[in-house]
Amino acid sequence: MKFGKRLKQQIEQSLPDWRDKYLSYKELKKLLRLITSAPAKMSGSPSEYGKAEAEFMYLLNNEIDKFNSFFMEQEEDFVIRHKELPHRIQKAVDTWGPNGSQPSDLDFKDEMAKIRKEIVNFHGEMFLLMNYSNINYTGLAKIVKKHDKRTGGVLRLPFIQKVLEQPFFTTDLISKLVKECETTIESVFPPPEYSGTGIFQGERAAPGEGIFKNTVAALMTMEEMRRGSST
Amino acid sequence: MEARPALSIQRSGGRQISSFGASAALSPSFPARPAALQESSPKFSDSQYISVERELMHRQPAPLSSNNGVVGHIFSSSSGFSTNLHFSTIEQQERHPRQPPFISQSTSSGKSVMLAHPVDSRVLQSTASSQFNKENNDSWCTETLPDFLDFPMNTTILNNELDVSTNGGIPVPSEDLGKPSDWQDWADQLITDNDALATDWNGILADATVADPAPKPSYQISEQSPNISMNQSQISLHLPGTPGEICTSGGQSSSANAAPAKQRMRWTPELHEAFVEAVNKLGGSERATPKGVLKQMKVDGLTIYHVKSHLQKYRTARFKPETPEESSEKKLASIEDLSSLDLKTGIEITEALRLQMEVQKRLHEQLEIQRNLQLRIEEQGRYLQMMFEKQCKSGVDLIKGGASSTSENALKELADAVQNSCAKDNLLVEAENNETKGETAKTSGETSQLVGEKQKAVEAVVLENPEPSAGEKSESPPTKRAKVDE
Repeated sequence: MKFGKRLKQQIEQSLPDWRDKYLSYKELKKLLRLITSAPAKMSGSPSEYGKAEAEFMYLLNNEIDKFNSFFMEQEEDFVIRHKELPHRIQKAVDTWGPNGSQPSDLDFKDEMAKIRKEIVNFHGEMFLLMNYSNINYTGLAKIVKKHDKRTGGVLRLPFIQKVLEQPFFTTDLISKLVKECETTIESVFPPPEYSGTGIFQGERAAPGEGIFKNTVAALMTMEEMRRGSST
Repeated sequence: MEARPALSIQRSGGRQISSFGASAALSPSFPARPAALQESSPKFSDSQYISVERELMHRQPAPLSSNNGVVGHIFSSSSGFSTNLHFSTIEQQERHPRQPPFISQSTSSGKSVMLAHPVDSRVLQSTASSQFNKENNDSWCTETLPDFLDFPMNTTILNNELDVSTNGGIPVPSEDLGKPSDWQDWADQLITDNDALATDWNGILADATVADPAPKPSYQISEQSPNISMNQSQISLHLPGTPGEICTSGGQSSSANAAPAKQRMRWTPELHEAFVEAVNKLGGSERATPKGVLKQMKVDGLTIYHVKSHLQKYRTARFKPETPEESSEKKLASIEDLSSLDLKTGIEITEALRLQMEVQKRLHEQLEIQRNLQLRIEEQGRYLQMMFEKQCKSGVDLIKGGASSTSENALKELADAVQNSCAKDNLLVEAENNETKGETAKTSGETSQLVGEKQKAVEAVVLENPEPSAGEKSESPPTKRAKVDE
């Protein structure tokens, strides 16, 4: 499947807030077509070519900014939530747990269930953010490569260098948070009574439907990307 | 079709402003900026800022010192200057940039430090915001226009730079770059850290119309963004959205309002911890004030706007743990929630959650692997490129060095040809590189093969050197070959 289509799929299945934060791959491709169809650079009407080229660059840069700000905002949220999570767990244990101030099995279970759900979703969201970053990066790489191919420019390498340094691509922090989240989850979930086998057996209304659906889409996208040339 | 109106405006000496987006020109031409911006033009007819932009677009006219200033402003708002596209474009401007690939120039220019200085002076010169119109004049590289416009729209860029250059999220911009400290000071001067102003800004930002041109330009820019460009409407979302982070602003102005408020801060856990400590010291998230927290934290480069927005988020997170996604999911799963009283269902839910978790974990791993792969591929490409250039250079130098007076030109041409072929080879390498992205296993084999090929190609070219200085020549190829064979 072509990247553009896959991207679209991913976007459709993503959380509503995120939909317009992804790479405007189509737009860029359109611009690229414009560039290549415009007459040669130095001849005839250089303005068209130059204009299209400038627009392309402008859009590219804008996209990067878009990614960066969105990413950083999400990251900030995650950092906050990540820190708050243990507090909440602690509070629940203290209030409703067996040794708490108001031991209440029901409330405790309730609260823990809520917390569990939240953690899983939180984990999912963070992962989705990383996926977002990755997809956008791939898209950027592809479009810039196309650009170079069609215009013979040498935009790609230096551009990608820059991208690699951008905040939205340096997802190490998020990765770390994800791992920490995974450990927290271990402690919150009761030990498994039986090991879950297939990945997609969760047909019984996975409570985190939105996030889950999203991650499934992400999984499929990633598999496909790895199959073909994803450059 | 957009081109026409744009051009006409240009010719009219455009003070008119159609908020053109800017992407304008690359070296050859100078196009007015198309599209979406045009619709918004009526609104901003007065906006000087816009006119500045337009001026930017003018190639011929006089120096756009004011523009530079504006840009400088914007720049100064971002303290970080790590190599960055926008930044580089500015640099280009300063240096009478040459041609299109901004990126290439920027890479060559490397650090932002270089820019800081010239921009500084310019900024200082042209502080008067309302004078923008008068100044815009040529000597401005249109190429930078797009990026220039970027600034207003997204001062986040600057923020990013800031963040990138900081370590551990501590926003101390000036460390990495020599000059930025100047900017920082200058920027600080401009900043009126004033809450009232901030609210003013918000009010103004919210306004669709621009009443008063003078202080407004910056606002206009942010206003523009919604109008501007095709897909960049999302940018506008950022602008009005967060009161604490006002976009653009920075530039313009002379009005102290131009506080470079919009710098995106990268909140790391450490920074956040410091924040939480400060908040707790001040009596909790409800009682703590942004100013107090800011003072308590004593972190350089952190502005009150950062703190404000972060505090807001923090409060929300503490007292309203339900995120929108969750609440909507809760609706979906409301039935399950009710039946959580039922143990059996409870277990089912837990199991489902567990499965979800498994999926996510696995995905996460795969994502990490993929990322690493991508990074490695890029590195490899870079390495090859470097090797290539080295070989090319050595070959060319030898040729150039060995050129006798008579055949100098011919040799130089040859040298250039070698370089060109090297460039082409670079592209070839890239292409090869890309193709192997999907198959890492083959990569190393192919690249070494490529390298071998390149060496042979260079040798062949060298051997084809014209006769005239045959004597010298015959010596250089062997030497070159020896070098190449290393």
